[in-house]
Amino acid sequence: MSEQSGFTRHGENAFVAHFSESESEVLINLAGQIIELLSERADHGDEDPLAAMVGITSHDSPPDDEVLLRLLPNAYADGVDAAEFRRYTESVLRNKKKAHAMSMRVLLKSASDGGVELDHENANAWLGAINDIRLALGVRLKVEERSHDELELLAPDDPLRGVYAVYSWLGWLQESLLQALMDDSANEVN
Amino acid sequence: MVKTKSKIEEEIQAIFNSDKPWVTIVWDDPVNLMTYVTYVFMELFGYSKERATELMLKVHNEGKAIVSTGSREEMEHDVARLHEFGLWATLQRGDQAL
Repeated sequence: MSEQSGFTRHGENAFVAHFSESESEVLINLAGQIIELLSERADHGDEDPLAAMVGITSHDSPPDDEVLLRLLPNAYADGVDAAEFRRYTESVLRNKKKAHAMSMRVLLKSASDGGVELDHENANAWLGAINDIRLALGVRLKVEERSHDELELLAPDDPLRGVYAVYSWLGWLQESLLQALMDDSANEVN
Repeated sequence: MVKTKSKIEEEIQAIFNSDKPWVTIVWDDPVNLMTYVTYVFMELFGYSKERATELMLKVHNEGKAIVSTGSREEMEHDVARLHEFGLWATLQRGDQAL
């Protein structure tokens, strides 16, 4: 059973949360799915290794997969500009997103008794990772088309009901981490 | 990286013609939490909580907002960082209709 406390701030630069075994498993699993999805769009092997090293990917068209497209959106409305930007930046973006998800997986896997302590940098990685998972689940839930009320009223046997429960819980978890971080920035300003 | 002549001319014009800077636009998204969008603006641009909240509300209420202005390269950098954090951002010339 979860204590439902979310993240709390401990001192200057520590953000602490405790997860039940099942919560931890869900997060590890979802972070893994994001890493897998991003890895499926690996660069083709025929490209110049030097180009690969400096982050130039051979992809210049947007992903067909709806989730990947949401994670790796176009930077320009204009198709030609969007393609050029994507060719030079997409693999860097994919790697950064993978690193965020990996940070979450690694810390949860090494956590004893579900306790996790993040510094500011890790907290930012977690925020990004949680957000990517929510974006992915949001595509599955079709949040663009469905109202909040509609999602709340999904039938108990609707397979999307469980997805929505996780989506909502992640929103709550992200919000708790944000509140803990924002207290921090308020103190720094004053 | 090799750029076409017209792109180089465009960038030079953008740098020297300060009346027509490039802009970064963030678009409304039903997934991203309002607190998260505010936090990302504070974190990436160093905006105060008040300024970041104001911009977040503009995105939320009007569907989009200009969050930064500058040279094309600067805006490409801003868009890349916003994408890293999952915000839906694009860049365009500031003199184009928004």
